[in-house]
Amino acid sequence: MEHATSDLKEFITDLVIPHQRCNVNINPDHITMLEGTKIKKQHSRKRRAHKSSTLSRREYAALGLNTLPTKQMKYEEALPLHHLWQGYVREHLELRKGDQVLQVHDGRYDEFSRKLVKLDLHGAKLKVLQSKCSTLEGLTGICVMDTKNVLKLLGKDHRLRTIPKSECVFGLKVGNMEFTIFGHHLKIRPAERSVKKIKSFVQPFM
Amino acid sequence: MGRDKKKHVSQRDIASRMNFLFQASNLMAAGNQAKLAAYYGKLCRNVGTKATMHMAPALKRFLCRRCSLPLIPGVNTELQVAGAPKEATAPDAPSSGEAETKKKRNRRQRKKPKSKNSGNAQASEVQVDESTERISLFLECSLCSGRRTFSANSQRDCWLEQPQSVVQVVSFAEEID
Repeated sequence: MEHATSDLKEFITDLVIPHQRCNVNINPDHITMLEGTKIKKQHSRKRRAHKSSTLSRREYAALGLNTLPTKQMKYEEALPLHHLWQGYVREHLELRKGDQVLQVHDGRYDEFSRKLVKLDLHGAKLKVLQSKCSTLEGLTGICVMDTKNVLKLLGKDHRLRTIPKSECVFGLKVGNMEFTIFGHHLKIRPAERSVKKIKSFVQPFM
Repeated sequence: MGRDKKKHVSQRDIASRMNFLFQASNLMAAGNQAKLAAYYGKLCRNVGTKATMHMAPALKRFLCRRCSLPLIPGVNTELQVAGAPKEATAPDAPSSGEAETKKKRNRRQRKKPKSKNSGNAQASEVQVDESTERISLFLECSLCSGRRTFSANSQRDCWLEQPQSVVQVVSFAEEID
């Protein structure tokens, strides 16, 4: 940067009559480069504005936070998460011991099902009941990551498996209650799930 | 009244979800799963922003500002304590200190010109505070190597952490009925 502008200054002073060259005074702010390089001052101002605030998406991805290693995590390490999740579910759904699944004509049914949809799935033990892809059927694991289109399950064989939501039907067990979740309706970003309005009736797709 | 109660209920499940995510994030950070911890922390923060709910400032500061990793000093974070940079420990403290107090006295006089006599005592108090308040904590995140600085002065706490700010305590047990 520096040498580019100094070359330029030299060139300009060479154009002036020799005995007036000492009077030449060039303000570096007045130099505008038409191509490529910028003047030092402009450059530094831009860099300072971006420093040390939040991470950009690109930096976030460069840290590897959007992906997880397939084989590093042990199943036992996810078990405390599962226990934490069980406590969360009990608090969220206001369950007591020995609760059964509510009947449709029950007064609390609507509210209960609405809460169920907004449940956070991180740490849940899920099982793939049905799938268009036959190799995915019967897989079980603790859900570790939840994105818009994909669930990441950590199986008992210490492997992290990526399972698409849209083609699968998941089974979920809470205490002595069992739920079936159609993955097609699960396709919301996890952060938006707790806010989004839910239709009162949706058709199962399989 | 009814609307108010409904709002409370709708916020409650979000609060419990954020609580769960925060705990999960801490759990993962303690178990050396930095990426997952950062993911849960980020999600906790995102759920809060989507639902326009605020975290308590102490908890908010607990997460790294850049990557949302919970900062646990000694486990995944480097903690440094540093004193004043130059002004408070300068050898010619008395002269500069006097100048500062003079300035402050002037300011105070502008605000309330009646209390001239008490100004002197107050100024000395302020000076004592300044020597302690310059001590600050530096936290360096291990994942994104972002740094944060907090001043270790209990008198300049965030408003929400001061006891005067508490208006009413609402416990969950009352809301369930």
